[in-house]
Amino acid sequence: MKKRASVLVMALVLLSALIFTGCGKSDETSKEKKSNDLRVAVVCSDSGQNDNGYNQSACDGIKEVAEDIGCEYKIIEPANGVPEALETLADDGYNLIFSLEYDFDALIKGVGGTEAIAAQYPDTTFVVFNDDPNKDEDGNVLHDNVISVLFDVHEASYLAGYLSVQINENMEQLFDDSYGLTPLDTARGIGFIGGTNSNGILVYSYGFIEGINKAAEEYNVTYDYYAKYDAGFTDSALGSTVAETFYDEGANVVFADAGVVGDGITAKAKEVGKIAIQTDANLDTQQPGHVLTSVLKITGVPVKTITQAYADGKLDEMDQLQNYNLASGATGITDLEEMGKHVQNQDVWEEIKSKLQTVSDQITDEEIKVTNKQNNEEFDAAKCPNVNIKTK
Amino acid sequence: MGFITGILYDSVYHAIPILLCVLGGIFAYKANVLNIALEGMMLAGAFVSVLVSFKTENVMLGYIAAVVTCLAIGLIFAFFGVSCKGNVIVIGLAVNMSIVAIAGFVLQLMNSANIKLGFTNAADFKIHIPIIKNIPILGGIISGHTIITYITFVSIVLVWILMYRTKFGIYVRVVGENEDSAKSLGLNTNKYRYLAILLGSFFCALAGINLALERMTIFTNSMTAGRGFIAIAAIYCGRGDPLSCTFYALIFGLARALSVNLSLYAGAAAAVFDVIPYVVMSIVLTVVSVIKYRNSRVRGM
Repeated sequence: MKKRASVLVMALVLLSALIFTGCGKSDETSKEKKSNDLRVAVVCSDSGQNDNGYNQSACDGIKEVAEDIGCEYKIIEPANGVPEALETLADDGYNLIFSLEYDFDALIKGVGGTEAIAAQYPDTTFVVFNDDPNKDEDGNVLHDNVISVLFDVHEASYLAGYLSVQINENMEQLFDDSYGLTPLDTARGIGFIGGTNSNGILVYSYGFIEGINKAAEEYNVTYDYYAKYDAGFTDSALGSTVAETFYDEGANVVFADAGVVGDGITAKAKEVGKIAIQTDANLDTQQPGHVLTSVLKITGVPVKTITQAYADGKLDEMDQLQNYNLASGATGITDLEEMGKHVQNQDVWEEIKSKLQTVSDQITDEEIKVTNKQNNEEFDAAKCPNVNIKTK
Repeated sequence: MGFITGILYDSVYHAIPILLCVLGGIFAYKANVLNIALEGMMLAGAFVSVLVSFKTENVMLGYIAAVVTCLAIGLIFAFFGVSCKGNVIVIGLAVNMSIVAIAGFVLQLMNSANIKLGFTNAADFKIHIPIIKNIPILGGIISGHTIITYITFVSIVLVWILMYRTKFGIYVRVVGENEDSAKSLGLNTNKYRYLAILLGSFFCALAGINLALERMTIFTNSMTAGRGFIAIAAIYCGRGDPLSCTFYALIFGLARALSVNLSLYAGAAAAVFDVIPYVVMSIVLTVVSVIKYRNSRVRGM
């Protein structure tokens, strides 16, 4: 009797193990629609498809465009790593696969002695984001079936920097006593907190600095710039205290580019009555009145553009390295609607917005050139005399 | 806030969650149960306190729910580890992993990367002590912390008394040092192990509440970021003594505060302070175990 019970328990355990491992791989959505040979898939990054931003935008984009052209799509949150997900999808016959994770080695170079995934599945088109890993040391393209997508976030960051100075200079008209901003005669400071010291983060900071410089020149003032580039992506309490030291030094605006660590930064902004800027998704409502704007990466735009091109048979005409700039709508800052509800003097606010639009147009028309660290352009601090960079 | 004051204030800020875990963990350590679930329990405390406060808009309920949840997790841990005699490392690992997964799942359901309390402000949790707050420097360091911070400092003394001056403390230590002789005295060893683990859960709940609810009024997943494991290291360095363990926890707090505050001036180089406590602990742990090994060899054990 006892033996039988234990066998039963074992069987149950095994069964549940099966179910659970099944779950791990099956948290994916699929929709069957024939009519078209095209099958597209999105492989999400760590933060998952409900992150309100980076992943979600791509997922929404794929749903929309798949409905439009009537093709089958699949969204995957990889349980066993991105490379395996890519292989499984390619094996299943998906022709167009978007990979949102920052993990390119297995796809481009191949790891552990295996051939690169891109070479194993020459008929599948892979799209990667945020980097251009698809080239050898001499810069020659390695795989014809890989497309790299870059977002010109430096341009959006420039706008954020410009806007920060504008609201700081006009704080008396814009903000009431409930804010605890450091007055202009005490200090002029702006901060930046990034998750890791890499080009992907620095590109925001450098664009931001140049934007600050542009506005500071207009007012003929100088801003102190505080930065921390190694705050990580998990410890929100750390982000919160780093932001506090910046705010204590007199910074009124802190730009957060560090995942959920940014949530700790905006929480601190609310606590001390100052301002923060968020990244990737529209997080303006995270702490209403304390998030000035968010610098956006709208992954849905390239997802839709590339899928549509594939469906129209025009994929071959597209570049293998695609930059999505302000004009494409794939990057930019939010519409400032949320902040607009909290500022007092709407006339001043509208004036700032129109100035911002002018600058935005100048960037689009290439009158203003912003340093793009993503493409390894060097940043020259000497060109920003009105920003006093306290930390390198 | 002055520069030095800022550093010392932040040291307290960063030390408290670790210190609470340490205070909770030393009883289990003394009872010879390696509780690696401190991290998970702290995260559970953080998660439940913010979630319940968010749902009910009542902070007090958040405090209570977090403590109750952590005690429940402690009970589960103790049941498997003590009553069923399971491997406590595996059980602890299971707790740590499942809390992250559950919190992640709930966040997924809520369609959000965090849970934040809109109705309250972290500034409201700070207690500004009259008179003391006006004293230069000292006021800036001691005043303006949250309620649990002050409870923690009182607890250091209470834990010390409990450990060395009460029957309970002696029994817990006896159970840990020599279970057979404890049994021969007629002690219910399992009972003391249970209580030791539950005390740990209670303090971990406070640590979580302090970290998430009181300090930030926000929860993000995995926000404990290894603090529970640092606490375990501190416990081993201090060999379970409340005062020396407190000292090591404070070292961590100070190092973290230095790395944060100095980053204003030194940039990325300030991160070197994050390394120092680990180096210190590695050295201390080595020395401790060398001494232990020598002693046991001399006695021929």
